[in-house]
Amino acid sequence: MAAAATIDYQQLSLDLEKQELENGNSPCTATQYSQLLALYLLQCDLCNAKFLWKRIPQNVKQGCAELSNIWSIGQKMWLKDYTGTYEALQRDWSDDVKGIMTSLQDSVRDRALRLVRLAYSSIGAEDFATFVGMPVDKAIQAAQSEGWEVDLQSRIITPLKLEPPPAPTIMSEQHLSVLTDYVTFMEN
Amino acid sequence: MPLTGFFQAAAMEPMQVDVVEENHNVEEEQNYNVENPTIDLENYASQYIGLARLNRLLFIAEHCNALKIEALRMALNYTMKTSFNTSLYHLIHHKLVQATQGAARAGTNSSSNNLPDVAPVATVDTQWLEVTSKKAALKLEQLDTELKSYKSNSIKESVRRGHDDLGDHYLDCGDLSNALKCYSRARDYCTSPKSVVNMCLNVIKVSVYLQNWSHVQSYVNKAEVTPEPSDNNKDANQSISSRLKCAAGLADLATRKYKSAAKYFLQVNFDYCDFPELLSPSNVAVYGALCALATFDRKELQVNVISSSSFKQFLELEPQLRDIMSKFYDSKYASCLKLLSEIRDNLLLDMYVAPHVNTLYTQIRNRALCQYFSPYLSADMRKMAEAFNTTVAALEDELMQLILDGHIKARIDSHNKILYAKDADQRSTTFEKAILMGKEYQRRTKALILRSAVIKCQIHVKSPPREGLQGGEMSIAPASASSIVRN
Amino acid sequence: MATSLEQYVNMVQTMSTSGNLTQLYDFINKSAEMLAKNASHLDNMFATLDVQQASLGILGILCVKYSHPNIPDLETTLVQTTEFFSKCNGEHVRFATDNYAELCQKFAQALIDRKMYARGIAPLIEAIQKIQLHPAQLTSIHGSLCQLCLLAKNMKPALRFLDIDITEISREGGRLDAKDYLLYYYYGGMIYTALKNYERALYFFEIAVTTPSVAVSHIMMEAYKKFTLVSLILHGKIILLPKYTPQVLQRYIRPLCQPYMSLAAVYSHNSLAELRSTVTEHTDVFNRDNNMGLVKQCMTSLIKKNIQRLTKTFLTLSLADMANRVQLSGPKEAEKYVLHMIEDGEIFATINQKDGMVRFHDNPEKYNSPNMLLEVDKEMQLCIQLDAKLREMDRDIAVNPQFVQKSSGTHEDDLPVTSKRCLSDNMLE
Repeated sequence: MAAAATIDYQQLSLDLEKQELENGNSPCTATQYSQLLALYLLQCDLCNAKFLWKRIPQNVKQGCAELSNIWSIGQKMWLKDYTGTYEALQRDWSDDVKGIMTSLQDSVRDRALRLVRLAYSSIGAEDFATFVGMPVDKAIQAAQSEGWEVDLQSRIITPLKLEPPPAPTIMSEQHLSVLTDYVTFMEN
Repeated sequence: MPLTGFFQAAAMEPMQVDVVEENHNVEEEQNYNVENPTIDLENYASQYIGLARLNRLLFIAEHCNALKIEALRMALNYTMKTSFNTSLYHLIHHKLVQATQGAARAGTNSSSNNLPDVAPVATVDTQWLEVTSKKAALKLEQLDTELKSYKSNSIKESVRRGHDDLGDHYLDCGDLSNALKCYSRARDYCTSPKSVVNMCLNVIKVSVYLQNWSHVQSYVNKAEVTPEPSDNNKDANQSISSRLKCAAGLADLATRKYKSAAKYFLQVNFDYCDFPELLSPSNVAVYGALCALATFDRKELQVNVISSSSFKQFLELEPQLRDIMSKFYDSKYASCLKLLSEIRDNLLLDMYVAPHVNTLYTQIRNRALCQYFSPYLSADMRKMAEAFNTTVAALEDELMQLILDGHIKARIDSHNKILYAKDADQRSTTFEKAILMGKEYQRRTKALILRSAVIKCQIHVKSPPREGLQGGEMSIAPASASSIVRN
Repeated sequence: MATSLEQYVNMVQTMSTSGNLTQLYDFINKSAEMLAKNASHLDNMFATLDVQQASLGILGILCVKYSHPNIPDLETTLVQTTEFFSKCNGEHVRFATDNYAELCQKFAQALIDRKMYARGIAPLIEAIQKIQLHPAQLTSIHGSLCQLCLLAKNMKPALRFLDIDITEISREGGRLDAKDYLLYYYYGGMIYTALKNYERALYFFEIAVTTPSVAVSHIMMEAYKKFTLVSLILHGKIILLPKYTPQVLQRYIRPLCQPYMSLAAVYSHNSLAELRSTVTEHTDVFNRDNNMGLVKQCMTSLIKKNIQRLTKTFLTLSLADMANRVQLSGPKEAEKYVLHMIEDGEIFATINQKDGMVRFHDNPEKYNSPNMLLEVDKEMQLCIQLDAKLREMDRDIAVNPQFVQKSSGTHEDDLPVTSKRCLSDNMLE
C-alpha cells in the first residue's frame, strides 16, 4: 500500500513538472504549485523546492496562503530544525495536499528516528522528543516501544543499533562470467 | 656630533654597504637577543682565524647585548692586528661607538652592566688607517706587477700562484668579490690535480664567506672528482677530503638539507679536522649531532653515530651533546629535551646553526614522540606527557599534528587520555583507493574525449575583440545565479 | 513581387519532396533578402507551407522574421517558432544547422529581452532533440537552454542534457564557437552548483577553464572563480588542473582573481577566524561577483573539514573540546555540526549525551557486501565502456586518410580514391 502511494506521488510530480513546462509563461494553478512543492519536500529535494518557491508568481502566492505555509515547512527542513518542522506541519491542510502532508510527517519522523539511532549512543529524553516531534511522555513511550532502554531517573534514552539487513547473496555463474570479463579487460 | 656624522659618511662607502648587507640578510630573518649565554668569548674566538672569527664575533655582537661590547672590541683588535681590512674597521668601530654610548646610558640607570667595558672607545686610529691603506695599496701594486711579469714569461705555475697571492691579498682587505675573481682565474693555469683542488678550496673558502651555497656545493663536487695526486702523502689527502666534507655539510645545513648535512659531517676525520678559517671541530660535533638527531631513524643513529669511533671523538668535545645523544638513544626523552633546551642559547649565537635551531628542535622532538610510541599498542598520555615534560593538553595538540601528518598511526581517546595505535585495514583502503581511481579515470577520460571533440572543431578562445561581447552576455547570467548559491 | 514569393514556395515544395536539400539550402540563403523585403507576406507563406514537409522553407522564413530589429507581431512569431520546433523534420533541418542554431539563439534572446524565460524551456528542449544526431552531441542551443533555465529558476529540465557527457560537438557550419561552448559549461556548472551537485559542477567549471585559449575570456575568468570556490567546498583545496590547461589561465586569469587566490591560501591554514577576516576583507569583491553564497559555503566546509580532521586523530573527544578546536561557539553548536555530518554520511560517529562525548568510528563499509560489489561492478562497467569508446576513437584516427597519409608518408595510392572519400565523409558526420 505504502509503496503504491509513493509511486503515485513520483508520477504526480513528473506530471506536474511537465505541465508547468508546457504552460510556458502562464502560471499554473495554486493547487498544482502546492502539490508540486509538497511533493518536492516529501522527496527531500529541498533545492528544487526552493527554486519552485522562488519562481511561483507573486500573485499566485498571495492568492493562496497554503503555499506559504507549505514553504515554511521547507525553510525549517532546510535548517534541519526539527521542532520548527513539526510545528509548521501542524495545520489543517486542504484536500489537495492532505495526503502528501501526512506522508511528509511520517517520513520526517522516520528519518529523525533513523538519525537518532545512527548518531546517538545516548540521548536526553527532551532532545529525543524534539527529534520525533512528540511530547516527552509520548516520546519516551515511543522509544520503549522501539525496544530502547530508557533510564527514567536520568531521563536518558539509549537507542538500539539496528542490525544490518541480511545481505542477499548473488554469487552465481553469471557473476563469474562478469569477473572473467573484468580480468580480460584489466589484462588488455 | 660631527664625529658621528663622519662615521656615517664613512659607512656609505660602496664596499661597506656590501658588507653590511651580507650580514643583514641573515639577521633580518631572526631578530632576537640571547640573554644568558655561557660562552667564553676569548676561548671561542681563538678557534677561528680570519673572516671566520670576525663574522662569528659580529654575529654574537648582533644577537647578545651582554657580550656585544666585548665581542666588538675583540673584533676590532683582531682586524687591526691581522688584516688590511680598513672598511671593516670603520664598520666595527662605528658599531662599538654606538654600543658603548648605549651601554653608558644604561649604565647611569643601573650599575649592573660590566663597567670596565663602558670605558669610552678610542677615537678612530687614523694613523693605523693611513699606514694600512698605504701598505695595502703598495702590496697590491707589487703583486700586480709580479703577476704581469709572470704572464709575459708565461710560466703557468707562476701565473697561478700570482693569482692566488692576489686573491689572498684581496681577502685580507675584505674585498671578497675581487678575491673570488682572482682565485677563479687561477683555474686556467692549473697544471696538476693538486693545484685544481687548491683552486677549488680557495673558491669554496670565499664562497662560504659570501654565503653562496650553491657555489660551495658545485666546487666541492668539482674537487671530489679531481683524481687524487699520486705523489702526495695520505695525510694531505685526508685533510682535503675532510675539509670538503665540512664545506659541503655547511652548504647543506644552510639550504635545509639536514639529512645530507648530517652525513657529510659524520664523514669528517677527527685527526685531520683543522680548518680554523672555516669551522672548528666542536662545530662539526654540534652540526652533525643535531642534524642526525633530527633526521636519522633509530637504526641509522646506532650505526652511523653512536658506534662511530671517529664521531665519538668529536662528541667528546661537546659533552652536553654527547649526553643528549645517549639519552635520546636510551629513550630518556625528558632529560634529553631538557639538556637540549639548556644548550639552546649558545646555539642561537652560532651564525650557521642559529637560523635552523627551531626547525631542528621540532624535528627532534617529533622524532622522539614517534619513537616513544612506536612499540606500544596503546599508551597512557599522562605518562607520556610526563616523559616529555609537558601537559596532557599540549601533548594532545602535538600528537594531533603528528597523526595528521602521518608520522604516527594512532588515534587519541581524549576521554580516557589514551593513545591507541591504529591498525590500518589494508583491504578496505585498497578498495577505497581503487574506487577513487576508477572515478578519477572516468572523469579524466570523459574530459579527454570531450577535448578531442573540441580540438576537432577547432574551438579556442582567440582574439580580444570578442571579449567585450562575452562580458556583456555574462552579466546577465551571474545576476540570476546570485540567489541560487545563497544559503 | 508576388511572383518571387510564389517561386520561393514552389521551389521549397518541389525540392523538399525531391530531396534536393543541399541545393534548397543554398537557394533559401540566397532568398533571405527577397523575403525580408516582403515581411508583410511572411505569415501567409508560413500558413501555405507544411511545417513537416517543407521544414527548410519555414526555417528560412522564421530566420528572416527574427532578423527584423523589432520583430512585428512577436506573439505570432513565438507561437510559430514553438510549432516549428515540435513539428519540423529533423532530417531536413540538419541540412541547415547554422540557420537552425541562429533561429534558436534569436528565439531565446527575444524571450530573455522580454523576461519570458519559462516559455522557452520546452521549445528549446524539443529543438535540441530534433537537431542532435545522438544525445551526446553538443549544440549551441544547449547553452541557451541552460541560460533560460537559470533565469526561470527552473533547473531540473536542463539536467536531462547536462547529465549526458558530450562526445561530439556539432559544428553548425562553423557557427558554434568558443563562446557557445564556454557558456554551456559555465551555465551548466552554475545549475549543478545551484542544485548542490558540486562534484559535477566542479567538472563543468574545470572543462570551462581548460578550454584551449590564447586570450583572456571573461567567461573563463568567472568560471575560474567559481571553480576555485567549489573546489574548496568539495576538496578543501584547489584541485590540480590537467597539463593541457592553457597558459593564459596561470599567466593572466589567476592574477585577476587575487581575492579568490588569497581565500584559498588562507583556507589551507585551517583557521576559521583567519578565513573569516579574509572574507570580510574581500566582501565587496565577492558580493560584486555574486559569489558570496559560495564563499559562505566555503566557511561551512572549513568547519566540516576541521571536524573531519578530528575524526582522523581522535577516538573520543568531548563536544566542548571539539567546539574549542574547531572554533565554534560551544558544545551545542558542535553537536549540531556533528549531527548534520553524520546525517549526510560525511563522518562516522556517535554522540553520547550522557557524558557529552563524541566517539568516532572508522568507515563501517568493509567492502564485502553484495551491494558494494554491485557498486564496484557498476563502476567497472563504466570504465569498460569508456575504454571501448577510446578504442573506437583510436580506430577512427587510425583509419583517417589524413592520419594515414601523414604517418606513412605517401602511401595513399594504396587506397582507392573513392573509399578514401567515403571514409573522410564518415569522419565529418
